[in-house]
Amino acid sequence: MSDQLLCVEGLSAGTEDKPILHNINLTVGAGETHVLMGPNGAGKSTLGHVIMGDPVYKVTSGTITFDGADLTHEGPDKRSLAGIFLSYQAPVEVPGVPLYSFLRTITQKRPELRMTARQFRKRVGQIADQLDMDQSFLTRELNVGFSGGEKKKIEMLQLLLLQPKLAILDETDSGLDVDALTVVSRGIEAYRQACDGALLMITHNTRILEKLTVDRTHVMVKGNLVADGPASLIDDIDAHGFEQFERKAEAEGLTRGDA
Amino acid sequence: MAQQKTQVADVDRSLYDFVKSEKGYERYADGLTPDIVRAISAKKDEPQWMLDMRLEALEVFHDKQMAPNWGPSIAGLDMDHISTYVSPKTKQAKDWNDVPKDIKDTFERLGIPQAERESLAGVGAQYDSEIVYHNMREEVAKYGVVYTTIEDALHDPKWEPVVHEYFGKLIPMRDHKFAALHYAVWSGGSFVYVPAGVTVEYPLQSYFRLNAQGAGQFEHTLIIVEPGANLHFIEGCSAPKYYEANLHAGAVELYVKDGARLRYSTIENWSKNMYNLNTKRAKVGKDAQMEWVSGSFGSHVSYLYPTTILQGDRSSCEFTGITFAGATQDLDTGCKVILNGADTTASVETKSISKDGGINTFRSSVVVGPKAQNARCTVSCQSLMLDNISRSDTIPAMDVRNPTASVGHEATIGRISDDTILYLMSRGCSEAEARTMVVNGFANPVSKELPLEYAVEMNNLIKLEMEGAIG
Amino acid sequence: MATNEAQATQATVTLERVNTPPAQTWNYLRANDITLTVPNLSRKGDVYFALPQLFDRIQTGMGPKVTQWVTSQAADSTYVEVPAHTVRTQPIVVDIDAQKGQVADTGVMVREGATATVVVIAHGNSDTDVASAALTRIVAEANTHVHLYEFVAVGQHHTHLESVGIDADDDAVLDVRQFLLGGSTSAVGFAAALSGDNARIDLKTRYLARGNETLDINHVVRQLGKKTRAEIHESGVLDGSAHKSLRATIDLVHGAKGSKGNEAENVLVCGENVVNKTVPVILCDEDDVQGNHGATIGSVGPDQIHYLEDRGLSFDEIEDLYVRAIFDDAVIQSPTVDARHAVLARAEEVLGAEIADDLLAGLDIEEQLLDQSDSAKEA
Repeated sequence: MSDQLLCVEGLSAGTEDKPILHNINLTVGAGETHVLMGPNGAGKSTLGHVIMGDPVYKVTSGTITFDGADLTHEGPDKRSLAGIFLSYQAPVEVPGVPLYSFLRTITQKRPELRMTARQFRKRVGQIADQLDMDQSFLTRELNVGFSGGEKKKIEMLQLLLLQPKLAILDETDSGLDVDALTVVSRGIEAYRQACDGALLMITHNTRILEKLTVDRTHVMVKGNLVADGPASLIDDIDAHGFEQFERKAEAEGLTRGDA
Repeated sequence: MAQQKTQVADVDRSLYDFVKSEKGYERYADGLTPDIVRAISAKKDEPQWMLDMRLEALEVFHDKQMAPNWGPSIAGLDMDHISTYVSPKTKQAKDWNDVPKDIKDTFERLGIPQAERESLAGVGAQYDSEIVYHNMREEVAKYGVVYTTIEDALHDPKWEPVVHEYFGKLIPMRDHKFAALHYAVWSGGSFVYVPAGVTVEYPLQSYFRLNAQGAGQFEHTLIIVEPGANLHFIEGCSAPKYYEANLHAGAVELYVKDGARLRYSTIENWSKNMYNLNTKRAKVGKDAQMEWVSGSFGSHVSYLYPTTILQGDRSSCEFTGITFAGATQDLDTGCKVILNGADTTASVETKSISKDGGINTFRSSVVVGPKAQNARCTVSCQSLMLDNISRSDTIPAMDVRNPTASVGHEATIGRISDDTILYLMSRGCSEAEARTMVVNGFANPVSKELPLEYAVEMNNLIKLEMEGAIG
Repeated sequence: MATNEAQATQATVTLERVNTPPAQTWNYLRANDITLTVPNLSRKGDVYFALPQLFDRIQTGMGPKVTQWVTSQAADSTYVEVPAHTVRTQPIVVDIDAQKGQVADTGVMVREGATATVVVIAHGNSDTDVASAALTRIVAEANTHVHLYEFVAVGQHHTHLESVGIDADDDAVLDVRQFLLGGSTSAVGFAAALSGDNARIDLKTRYLARGNETLDINHVVRQLGKKTRAEIHESGVLDGSAHKSLRATIDLVHGAKGSKGNEAENVLVCGENVVNKTVPVILCDEDDVQGNHGATIGSVGPDQIHYLEDRGLSFDEIEDLYVRAIFDDAVIQSPTVDARHAVLARAEEVLGAEIADDLLAGLDIEEQLLDQSDSAKEA
């Protein structure tokens, strides 16, 4: 397993009073693109947040190994520095912190990315152009007062700046209009090209996957991974929906409560 | 929307506004002298320490000034024209049939004996300066719960040391000018002791009626809820209206020990010649809970800020209050919370309604001490203006001295939005119905916390008030 | 401007209970006011060239005692008039060198329809205790647009008093930025009267207090005209044993129909011994108005913390980011070279030279500064 980038083994997790994820096994190799699909409320976003170390969720069993190191008990900042990036479905507004200060600070935290302020400014400028972003964004407060599409672009900007080994994109496509979706797709492509980073796309929508070469597809129903397959599984889902998997899950007695 | 002339009715106070004769009562001379203080003490046959405390408090009262830079004016209050002690010539009864007829009639009209029969574990009724009726159900007494007057407790060798230990400790006489006055001339009130682990199933209620004109009421309430015990205490007060100032300067000291819970509900309906300068304070132990429900409807001037000291770790406090200020009323109300223990939590939710030129001031303070790790406090304060001759001010203060604490405050002031009224009218409500609906909805978070009969009373007050708004 | 060079030998005067809000609260909370001891330089025999009398009618944030003291200490007043229907591009600058204990009394008359920028900069650092002050009163006539920038960036031994009063007539727009970046004691009073209909103010204050610094702020916005609008936002970071008091008052006066006032404060408390006091007041004497207040004190919210942790920052680094952000913002907003220099000098003291350079270089400001100074030379 050591050749795998991300290795989730026997993972169960939930909130204080409610188990959500049940015995999840998932591996993602370096540079691979995986898709995690499933109906609303299946626990897909929860898995993304648990991998990132969201303190809202408690891991009750299992391990999360990344790049050969066990991160199960590490804080989210350590996981971020190790090379995991989680793009939020609804990026948090952080009043009082200009985007520029934020980007500069998170870049300087990573020895491999350290650069002079001037180089940094240039780099950010290039990425912003790539994403059709106005540079005046930089002096505004982080995510405050931005539209949904703009917030997603700010997430992409960070992705391209930090070049993580693994990017988990949580419903990055949700609520975007066609133009914004094109820009985001371009961002994802640029990330793949720039650093050959691995991707875990969380979505229940196949549209954004059209331009990606998918290595593996996973289906989650009621907190369980119920199917695993090649890229073609996406077309299958596109045509027939999740119902088949839900029936299968029911048949196997997999319900939310029986962790 | 049709513009209708808004004709504003006053709160219907006929329920409270009836006077009984004072003939034959014992009434001490107006004003404040050491002789009057000695006379009150002598009548009560008190221990020496209590007399000493009264005399010291009198000096403090004369020394202390009201703060010159905040608060409603009390210029209309002349202590030389207030009698600090007025007592009906009757002994405290345990049976309503032993209470003199006109006094009994007063409490009947206020619904107290009926409430006692239906939903209370015990009742104390004070008429002017003395408690005239006191009773508690047998089964509650059986658990060792004590509900009596401070005077009686002082005459009981078992409880005298307890009163001595707690009385005047939470609210020191130097707290403010009228706290000092209270300790000089206090009379009546309640002493409640709930032994460890005992849950009193039904509420205890004290009702304070000030019938005499140009008089003061200075009852003292001392409640000790021992560890793990649980009590709901209700306090009601009213008075008929006079054109001379009356004064209420009570004190309420509440000790909520570790793991205990106390709910203290008040419906205050003093008449509009009343200066209500009341002081209430609770000290809360580890894992204990203090809940205040406070409805302030009456008084000419109020200074009322129930204070909670969250001393024990993980102790909590909830304060729910509503103040209704109508014509000639200047009500300065709110609360204070002091978070000293770790992981303490407090939530304050208040509403105020101003109309007919009434003045509402919400005043609060939240103080988080340096040891209050992870203390949490939220204050939410909403004020509704029903016309453009009234006034509503919000003056909260926060003093936070622990970096792990989090304190949130939000306040809004405004009137009922035209959109809301239009929406409700488009669904077939009359304007008056729509306004009543909105105001009731506004008051609902408070009324739902009140004992049923008071909630009904409060809703009736609001309804009566709003009915006048039909053109 | 006066220069109080030989301060040590001068008499002092105590300004009791200044910087008071219109409605006060319990005195034992010690949040109603501040008492300051300041130099009292005798100017007997000097002629004082006072501002036109109409400025005396303007209510100031720190109040009449401070106004009186400033006019007794300033050698002269400065009166600037911006003619009607003109746009003044050159900012009106009040430059206070705290090291010299300068005291300034400035009056700005912005005539109808004009646009002007006023910049008040208090800067400088030395080891001696010095007190400086800026009193700035502004009349904004109808349809004016006034930008006011205030930078308090004095060193840890200085006391600075900053008192502002503005009167805004019909349709005037006031845009005010305060950056309160340090000083042993900074007392900052700001009062605006929205006297005219549709007048509007946006007041944004960012502050940092650390070490043993005391920061005392009094914000008062009186809304008198119809349909006036006040948006007040304070945010800051408190560290070490800093003492901060903020009094923020929205006064909705009778007759201010259709007016709205919002105020919100966010505070991040880092230091173990910080004392943080806030008194957010709404006074309302009119029903057809909306007044709102919000304050959050303590840590940054859990959502923000988690988001920032997900990007690789530890809790301490998140606190540092918030401090840096204040300076970044101040640099970004600085309207003049001198203001930037003042901010950067203070940033160097607080964050170190490396970060200060980073602030400057990263935003391409160096070039802009060079451009500006070049063009200034040409002019």
